[in-house]
Amino acid sequence: MSSGKFKQIVGLVVLASLALSTYSCTVVSSDEEFFGSTTPPKQNIFRYVNGDEPTSLDPVMSNGQPEARLYMALYDGLVEYNPKTLAPEPALAERWHINNDSSEFTFHLRHNGRWSNGDPIDANDFVYSFRRALAKKTASPNASLALYLKYAQAYNEEQVFVRDAKTGQYLLARDFVADLAPDPISTTPIDAAKPEYLPDPNELKGDPDTAFHQQMHTPLRLTLPGDEKARAKRIDADPKLKALVAGKEFVTVTEKDLGVEAVDQYTLRLSLVQQAPFFLGLLAHQVFRLQPQKIVEKYGDAWTQPEHIVTCGAFKVKTWIPYDKIVLERDPMNWDAATVKLDEIHFIPIVDQHTVMNMYKVGELDAVYNHTVPNPWLHVLKYKKDYMDAVEMAIDYLIMNTTKPPLDNVKVRRAFNLAIDKDAYAEWRRVVKPLTAFTPEGMFPGYPQPKGAKFNPAEARRLLGEAGYPVTQNADGSFSCPKFPEDQVEFIYNVQSANKLFAEWYQAQWKQNLGITVGLRAMEWKTFLDSRAKLEYKGLSRAAWGADYMDPFTFLSLFYTGSENGTGWEDPKYVAMLDEANRTLDHKKRYELLAQAEAYMLEQQPIIPIDTPSVNFVKKPYVKGMYPNPASLYPWKYIYIERDQAKWDYSTPSLAAD
Amino acid sequence: MLRFIVRRLLVTIPTILVVISLTWGLIKLAPGNFYSTERRLSPAIEQNIREKYGLDKPWYQQYGKTMWGIVRHLDFGLSLRYENQSVNAIIKQSLPVSAAIGLLAYLLALVVGITAGSIAALKQNTRWDYGSMALAMLGISVPNFVLGPILVLIFSLTLYWLPPSRWGGFPSWNLILPVLTLSALQMAYIARLTRAGMLEVLRSDYIRTARAKGLSERDVVIKHALRGGLMPVISYTGPALAFLLTGTVVVERIFSLPGLGNYFIQASLNRDEPLIIGIVAFIAITLLLMNLLVDIAYAYLDPRVRY
Amino acid sequence: MSTEKKPEHDELIHTPPEMAIAEADVRSEEAGGFVRGSSLWRDAWRRLLKNKLAVFGLIVVVVVTIASIIGPTVIKNTFGFTPDYIPTDDVKLSRSYPPFTGPDGKFSWLHPMGTDNAGRDQLARVLQGGQISLLVGVIATLVSLLIGVTYGAIAGYFGGHLDNVMMRIVDVLYSLPYVIFVIVLLSLFRSQTPMGQLVLLFIAIGSISWLTMARIVRGQVLSLKNQEFVLAARATGVSGARIVFRHLVPNTLGPVIVYATLTIPQIMLTEAFLSFLGFGVQAPLSSWGSLAADGVQNIGIFPWQLIFPGVTMALTLFSLNFLGDGLRDALDPQMRTV
Repeated sequence: MSSGKFKQIVGLVVLASLALSTYSCTVVSSDEEFFGSTTPPKQNIFRYVNGDEPTSLDPVMSNGQPEARLYMALYDGLVEYNPKTLAPEPALAERWHINNDSSEFTFHLRHNGRWSNGDPIDANDFVYSFRRALAKKTASPNASLALYLKYAQAYNEEQVFVRDAKTGQYLLARDFVADLAPDPISTTPIDAAKPEYLPDPNELKGDPDTAFHQQMHTPLRLTLPGDEKARAKRIDADPKLKALVAGKEFVTVTEKDLGVEAVDQYTLRLSLVQQAPFFLGLLAHQVFRLQPQKIVEKYGDAWTQPEHIVTCGAFKVKTWIPYDKIVLERDPMNWDAATVKLDEIHFIPIVDQHTVMNMYKVGELDAVYNHTVPNPWLHVLKYKKDYMDAVEMAIDYLIMNTTKPPLDNVKVRRAFNLAIDKDAYAEWRRVVKPLTAFTPEGMFPGYPQPKGAKFNPAEARRLLGEAGYPVTQNADGSFSCPKFPEDQVEFIYNVQSANKLFAEWYQAQWKQNLGITVGLRAMEWKTFLDSRAKLEYKGLSRAAWGADYMDPFTFLSLFYTGSENGTGWEDPKYVAMLDEANRTLDHKKRYELLAQAEAYMLEQQPIIPIDTPSVNFVKKPYVKGMYPNPASLYPWKYIYIERDQAKWDYSTPSLAAD
Repeated sequence: MLRFIVRRLLVTIPTILVVISLTWGLIKLAPGNFYSTERRLSPAIEQNIREKYGLDKPWYQQYGKTMWGIVRHLDFGLSLRYENQSVNAIIKQSLPVSAAIGLLAYLLALVVGITAGSIAALKQNTRWDYGSMALAMLGISVPNFVLGPILVLIFSLTLYWLPPSRWGGFPSWNLILPVLTLSALQMAYIARLTRAGMLEVLRSDYIRTARAKGLSERDVVIKHALRGGLMPVISYTGPALAFLLTGTVVVERIFSLPGLGNYFIQASLNRDEPLIIGIVAFIAITLLLMNLLVDIAYAYLDPRVRY
Repeated sequence: MSTEKKPEHDELIHTPPEMAIAEADVRSEEAGGFVRGSSLWRDAWRRLLKNKLAVFGLIVVVVVTIASIIGPTVIKNTFGFTPDYIPTDDVKLSRSYPPFTGPDGKFSWLHPMGTDNAGRDQLARVLQGGQISLLVGVIATLVSLLIGVTYGAIAGYFGGHLDNVMMRIVDVLYSLPYVIFVIVLLSLFRSQTPMGQLVLLFIAIGSISWLTMARIVRGQVLSLKNQEFVLAARATGVSGARIVFRHLVPNTLGPVIVYATLTIPQIMLTEAFLSFLGFGVQAPLSSWGSLAADGVQNIGIFPWQLIFPGVTMALTLFSLNFLGDGLRDALDPQMRTV
């Protein structure tokens, strides 16, 4: 055996091992500004990873995030989100006016709106689209957002009016429904709400007072369940109703009763069932975007196939290869085509975070969707300049079943809240900020948010003692609460990645600070939802809520009457406070009233606030026009690729309105 | 020859049926089922699922149904996880991916391996020899799930030359790293085999005769020596395919390729019974047929073998 | 030229490459096969030592084995980390840091191989991984040895119909994708305890690796069974089983040892890739394969998580292969064609 061979082989091996090991030591110390390659794509194409493969391209069919982003590119609505503030901006509606109590919205549409096949867009398209979104057989998961429209709920549930065949008179809701809010349609003349969207002086007088409009101004009609058995049950329960229903006929609520009207070809009027000052912001949501009537009626469920589909947004569908990518190209027919700078967008469906991050690093992706950066990477990635760090418009909190002891006692609930250290939690999670109130802190400028209770374990123990479950301290410093019925309290959560870790964290806190061991129970998603909704669970559960529009009411409305929030807590005083706030026209006063309602709810403690997530994603510095707004919704027409390095984004772009 | 083929087929077909039955039996014996991992389903939902998939029938009925479908139309049923997609469709769409990488890897391994092995044999005990044998040894020792990511680390994540994962169609840059990773082991084996085979042949009498006759070295090598060096490589084809198969599974996992191996692993993790049986059967059939072909080829090439 | 027995066609096709050469020689009827003598082993040992590569391999294997066995304990006593220790008091510590770096970014001796995502010391983990990987390698090899030797000896000795059937079975099994079976098996019968899973692995992997061993032993037995000492034993009335196990098997030791040494790295590779896919060793135990699986995910940013387990494994396998080659060369110089 020659020593030459030996040396060669061993030398090779040693060299390879050393090289690799040294490489691994130095790779992170290289202080690159950005994570990975920063070479912009040669063409004007934006490559984005969108999460999972979208289920449908029909804008009313899905409430998933990947689909929402697609719909924003493909379909336009009355208004569009401002990319930084998320405030509503004119889209297909050029200008609008709102009546005094925010219950009637009139939109004047632009005349140059076009579908991708060239057909013109007018108010009838909106009427059709809103009706379809609310139709029962469409079964849109987002229909609840549109329930503010008059008779929307009745139409969606196929309820019936009660009419006297001879006189043509309908039974009215206010005669039979307790606590009904007063009919909101004000009779004072309509007035412009926003000075910059002042209508033509001629139009102020010109909006015709059509027969339909008058009907919308009549008091709200009573509606009864469409299903005969349910209806009979309802009638039998109320003797007064039973008496008056006799001899009358039941008329199904049709789409024609829905509070949407095409006053003329380019004027759309919406009538709401209650005052909703925030409704304008809500109209940018995908459920209010247009669907092409002719195409849907012609092809039925197959209308979204790439060979049939017709869209009206800034982009249209070029190709769709399932599980590979969806390619969108700019739509020259769009009214705002001049603003659109990108030629194509590629939406790539990948779910695995690590794959996504690797592709981003190599430069195969220009941006990734929210919450892709793996938690263990953050202590390095957070300091890169292409990391987006901003607040998110969502909250994580724990709900408690207030209908079962011992959590029916507000003192016990408060104790459980005070025993959780939200700051420590935020530090542990790294991508969240602590939350002590119900609305995310600092989210709504000018909103005097109540502070909520801070971490105070001593006070928690004291409250427990007052409630009849005294806490004693053991020799080793730990606590125990012998009288507490631990078998009546458990924490349920749905089986999904890190939920178990979080559950164990809360459990540790209660054990450490109160001496109470709360059992943990994992559940399958549907069972979990069921258990929460039906109030079957004993104790506590996790919950989360993302805002649908930029207004505190989107969170506070969770405890409005009839919402299935899983706590069983319903307080007429709270509901009244919310209603009063929504009736207030003065913006500042309204915010104050909402804050008071929030403070009241926090005191009653049906929930334990935990955290507000932060936005957490990366985008290349040459991607401009994409802002990490709290809802992570990006109007794609504003995004462009900047080739001049001096103009790149060298940090998280500011969300201050310009 | 014909008798040989027939005899082999007669052994092969029952083997496949036994394989399928065994797999089916294993799955049935195992505790748990595909729809419950950590979850607690309400009895009503569970009953619905069982009825939908025919799991409430007695075992011989289920077995009969499965086997009948397979034997009759080669229909392996619907996947339990990928709703409404038939197993046959899944195999059909994922096979080209696996086949593409596997075949390319094998071709690359053959070309590089035979060349390297021949050179090493011809230049025995020189730098070339030691160098290539050392590399071959590395090829055998470094597991493919270490080699793959390291290649990705260097050529993709540091140099930004190649994509780090995913299928990009055929042909595309995405093929390079998976094929390289998969072929490394085979390259090494083939190089060693070629070298060993050639060395043995180079020492033999008839080579000496050829040289004595005055044939150019080139002719000696290509016309005579190479043939001898190729024999072990050809006979290695069977095991090579088996190794390629297991290698593909890991490579597809690492590079997120939608091939048979990846689907197989997913099916195993999901306890997707029809898909598991379908893929196992498909692989068994393929391997057995390939082995048969190899045997025929070998018989054709080696005049010493007679049937 | 000696009259070489024509290799049985099928066997030549389906044998793994290394043994294709070995078997050709093993089947030779020349008395130059295995002469039992006490000098055999000493000769072999001397030859082995002369082979520098093999010695290098031996040293590395021994070092790695010892490090794996005592390493975690040593680390525990010096630094206080066990492979499972997750620092919980300071959130800053439960992060992945490069080799020789502390949380503040400055040089630190504490973690020569860095830490993983939860803050566990990588060196301790790699060494513990080595424990499991080597353990599985050795024990599964023993299992396959047991099955293979018994099977091959019986087939070879009794010959005839029994031999035919037994070898046919081996042929058929050879052509099946047995790793696929193992995956299906492991995915279905997951053990509740980590130890149980290990035992399952020993059996599963061992039971697919005995085929070639059986072939080799059978070949050896075939060539030995007509030798004089066997005839003598039979003449004196020793029973068949005794002949097989007391006389024939010990004479097959040479190739068996060689093949066993070559099998260990193959088995370690199989176990590693099973663990990589998620079917092998389960948490909290970890082998090099599962460490690699954890590390691959973070390769874009923390490559040391993959590199260190990977390089250690490659080095060990590399050395084992050289050692095996060297043993083969040493035990039978006639087999030496490389």
